[in-house]
Amino acid sequence: MKTFVCIKYVPDTSEAVVKINAGGTAVDSSRFSFDINDADNYAVEEAVLIKEKCGGTVTVLSIGPKESEVMIRMALAKGCDDAIRIEDERIALYDPLMVAKTLAGAIKGQEFDLVLTGCMASDDGQMATGVALAEYLGVPHAAMVKKVEMLDGKVKVQRELEGGLMEVLELELPAVLTIQTGINEPRYAPIRGIRAAQKKELKLVNLDDLGLAASEVDSSASKIVLEKLYIPEVASTAEVIEGSDADEKAEKLASILVKGGLV
Amino acid sequence: MRGMMMSENQTFTEKFDLLGCIQCGRCTGGCPVTARSNLNIRRFVYDAYHEEALEELARLAEIWDCTACHTCAVRCPKGLKPLEVLIGLRTMVIESGKTQPTVRDALESVFREGNPWEKARATRCDWMEGLEVKIAQPDTAVENLFFVCCTIAYDPRVQVIAKNLVRLLNAAGVDYGFIDDGESCCGSEVYTLGEDGLFEMIVEDNTEFLNEFQAARIVTLSPHCFTTYNRHYPDLNKPVIHYTQLLAELLDQGRLTWEGGLEKKIVFHDPCYLGKQGGIYDEPRRVLQEIKGAKLLEFGRARERSLCCEGGGGKMWVETESKKERLAETRIKDAKALGAEIVAVACPFCLLTLEDAVKSLGFEEEMRVAEIMELLGELGGGN
Repeated sequence: MKTFVCIKYVPDTSEAVVKINAGGTAVDSSRFSFDINDADNYAVEEAVLIKEKCGGTVTVLSIGPKESEVMIRMALAKGCDDAIRIEDERIALYDPLMVAKTLAGAIKGQEFDLVLTGCMASDDGQMATGVALAEYLGVPHAAMVKKVEMLDGKVKVQRELEGGLMEVLELELPAVLTIQTGINEPRYAPIRGIRAAQKKELKLVNLDDLGLAASEVDSSASKIVLEKLYIPEVASTAEVIEGSDADEKAEKLASILVKGGLV
Repeated sequence: MRGMMMSENQTFTEKFDLLGCIQCGRCTGGCPVTARSNLNIRRFVYDAYHEEALEELARLAEIWDCTACHTCAVRCPKGLKPLEVLIGLRTMVIESGKTQPTVRDALESVFREGNPWEKARATRCDWMEGLEVKIAQPDTAVENLFFVCCTIAYDPRVQVIAKNLVRLLNAAGVDYGFIDDGESCCGSEVYTLGEDGLFEMIVEDNTEFLNEFQAARIVTLSPHCFTTYNRHYPDLNKPVIHYTQLLAELLDQGRLTWEGGLEKKIVFHDPCYLGKQGGIYDEPRRVLQEIKGAKLLEFGRARERSLCCEGGGGKMWVETESKKERLAETRIKDAKALGAEIVAVACPFCLLTLEDAVKSLGFEEEMRVAEIMELLGELGGGN
């Protein structure tokens, strides 16, 4: 069983003050903490669980800066076998199709059974990379996967749909699965494990090494233009409910909710 | 899992000197956690002698109930540290990777951002905004180098400790410097959670980082940092004191005075990491006695007999399964029985756990929990 797991190094913007850079098309990330994308963390764990059960190897694949190697080493410490980090400023990273094409370029030509990705990146939320990757590799895919069962030459998956509905699919291998959070409980990478993982191979490559022409994945190849990022103005619609006691305030609140058709 | 424990060419029995134990049971007799948990520390010391039983022992939930208060170590007539057996078992769990998600996230955060609270390193000094804080430079000599602590730096409830201390230091003309956002976790909770490898790395990095500063001494705001630096950093090139020691010193020199007073009955709760583990009992009381109008009370269980608040030992990230009364609630009930209006503490964890207990017991009208720096900040008139 040969598995690739694609992971992304993303900023935690949940609590930080987000500022837009002067150019208007990037965020000032100097005060953010960065970590593995949440769903990708579950994909790593699932890849390691499959390896522990079925044998084989897991290769980590990521497009990111030097700083992201901490994240890659943690994945290696958890049981992945080797890693490829792609760094090339020519890639149009805002376009998931260009990202997927680059990742496919790193996988193509190698034998593989499974490619796992997170179902969504927390920074741009496109939910497209994994699916597009399957297209570029010419293999079937399943998105939002909550359960994986390896069969002979096939994989049986359960997908999470709206309203708590689950869909069961059987896919022929090789296949791409985009993994939903909660599928497992990601393990901790102890520091001794991370140190030991320093011995595992982490290859740095650029587009030329992958045999990809920049014109295939740069902004000229993309059919999307990133126009601008902006923070919406806060509308002042908050209303403080006045009243002499809790009963009076609750009554006013209830009437607002009723009038607004909210209850 | 055991392979990891044997990697240092020492068996579990040798590492924790298990054969030194005479099974007298004073550890379990003194352990405050037994009031609400099945934890029997004497039994663990006995069972851990059987190396083949270690994996099973490491799976028991109660190894996470220990608060690392050190009562067992203080009472052991043979000078052993029974709690470290539990830490050793926790290490086995941590190194297997299969730990509680909350513990995993805290440890990963220490590794990546230098704090267990999953906050960005770049925001570590945001609490300083609006204050005149002198920042220490490695090449400029300073008498007191302040080490803030992750919890005080990031938790809005306890940042007041650092803020009021800065105001006091400025007013008293103390020669000091705070560390910028290069400050990293001392590793106190990393050590007690059993992440040996990470703790080793932290000790190495912090020793190198702190030794660069030309300071006469390091002053910590949290007793956890204070005890960790004093016990686990053999190569640190300067002494480490707790801030209450500095305040007592300034009082002796007549450099601290307050105009205002506080007509309240105050009882001081000895933090385990300051008292039992650091031997500092008198300095915090000395400071509180200086507050005009304050009447200082004493708990029945004071000083080395102080009851643990359950905030240490990594317990901020591991919930005990027991539904029995929390020790912090027991402590607050004791304070109420004494007639105390303020429970004064000198530790951010004690502040958080005891304050929660006041709320859960519904005693907010009658009493409050306050850190010493918080009280001093309220005296008004400043210095």
